[in-house]
Amino acid sequence: MDALMKDGAYREYIIEVEGISKTFPNGVRALTGFSTRIRRSSVVVVIGPSGGGKSTFLRCLNGLEEIDSGSIVIDGIPLDDNKKNRLEIRKEVGMVFQSFNLFPHMTVLENVNLAQRRVRRKTKQEATETTMELLKKVDIPEKANSYPSQLSGGQQQRVAIARARAMMPKVMLFDEATSALDPEMIGEVLDVMKTLAREGMTMVVVTHEMGFAREVSDRVIFMENGGIVEEGTAEHFFSNPQEERTKLFLSQIL
Amino acid sequence: MSQAGALAVEFNSGYSKMIQYDAKQLRRIWFVLMRSTASDVVKFLLLVAALTWLMYRGTEMMGYHWQWHRVPRYIAGFEDGRFTRGPLLDGLLLTFRISAWSLVLAFCFGLVTALLRISNSFMGRVIARGYLELIRNTPLLVQLFFLYFVLAPVLGIGRFTSAVLALSLFEGAYASEIFRAGILSVTRGQWEAAYSLGLGTFHTYRYIVLPQAIRRILPPLTSQAVSLVKDSALVSTVAIYDLTMQGQVVISETFLTFEIWFTVAALYLVVTVVLSTVVSVMENRLRVAD
Repeated sequence: MDALMKDGAYREYIIEVEGISKTFPNGVRALTGFSTRIRRSSVVVVIGPSGGGKSTFLRCLNGLEEIDSGSIVIDGIPLDDNKKNRLEIRKEVGMVFQSFNLFPHMTVLENVNLAQRRVRRKTKQEATETTMELLKKVDIPEKANSYPSQLSGGQQQRVAIARARAMMPKVMLFDEATSALDPEMIGEVLDVMKTLAREGMTMVVVTHEMGFAREVSDRVIFMENGGIVEEGTAEHFFSNPQEERTKLFLSQIL
Repeated sequence: MSQAGALAVEFNSGYSKMIQYDAKQLRRIWFVLMRSTASDVVKFLLLVAALTWLMYRGTEMMGYHWQWHRVPRYIAGFEDGRFTRGPLLDGLLLTFRISAWSLVLAFCFGLVTALLRISNSFMGRVIARGYLELIRNTPLLVQLFFLYFVLAPVLGIGRFTSAVLALSLFEGAYASEIFRAGILSVTRGQWEAAYSLGLGTFHTYRYIVLPQAIRRILPPLTSQAVSLVKDSALVSTVAIYDLTMQGQVVISETFLTFEIWFTVAALYLVVTVVLSTVVSVMENRLRVAD
């Protein structure tokens, strides 16, 4: 049983966040000490006004931002000063950015292959096989040899999702993944994300797409001023939000 | 009267219309001519002719006697049907060797210094900054003399090595600032994407940051390389028989002052133009790959 626990035994909560706070050097208090736990294979949507700490929370989860106090544990590994732990978490937590951040000097294939080869140490052939499979899943296998600048925004974001998935992460973070897209491309990216959710990926999604929240999320967290104002199912938010602040926010975005 | 008047007006207006039309056409022909390659060539030849004439007048007033026909044998020639290098070609080859070594070393120094300045290590940043300021704010000639007369005997290195070291340390300081600018020009998102994929610092630099940075800094880096080739003329001061030194020797033997100096300048020009051309071909290749 102990051995099982060590290498990836079943833990109900894959993300455990305990009282984290973060103040930026310019004095902005982005996170003011909050806690939450996220179940394996669940989809959590984080909503709230800009500057409310949603993105900071997400970026803390894979160590892109340092927390000042509190603790973050990802699948049993604490995110602390230990470099090994940190690297392990970076490998196991994939991230999709608002601005795609594809590598512009590489083809789509090379973008998705890179981490598989350099971090997972796969051979070129193994990596390419995985990549082509993932590109088929996001519906653009024919673009494998194109450069990111030759793709539309929606296509670029789908490649970014495939790139993050290529590492076979246990958790995927989406930081306003559709906010930089033209309206007609939002759908194709959301579809990919929905499929991913149905396949059982643990996802933390910062978004303004309430339709997505309603359709696939298990839980919605409403954040403001660096803390949680209210949380519950999407249905709870749509039918009877408790807090005045939540009602106001929802009335503005719906 | 009215009929004659009308006729006159008609005639006048027609005439002026014809003139206008011709002027327009002429102007158009003139523009086409001025924009053609042929006119560029003509203009260039005119410029060269004017400069040649100026030079000719100048030297005539000094009473200089041109003897271009004596120059070729100092570059290269045929002796007993065999190709032999003249002193200038020997010098050129040495200049090549010095420049090539210095170029490689300078880029290494530059890259390492830039990485140290960006690194988290306090000592690394201090060392890089110290090297940069010390080298950039003192004359190359002094550095060369210091290396050759003070350090070389201690380290037991020859004049060639001292010269290469002095040149590459000097140009490396400038190159480091170019590298640093290039690295900093890669957006934060690229670093974050690499980070979130689990890539280490080395892999991030090797596959993400440097390939993008180097594309952007190729133009200033080329300028730096051209500078290096020309600055290499200073090594003649420590008795290295490079192109400049050979030129001086030939002049002291033959008194062909202007002919030899012009030839030397032309040979430097050949080297630097070849260098720039190679880089611009590379640049085009990289752009296609984008």
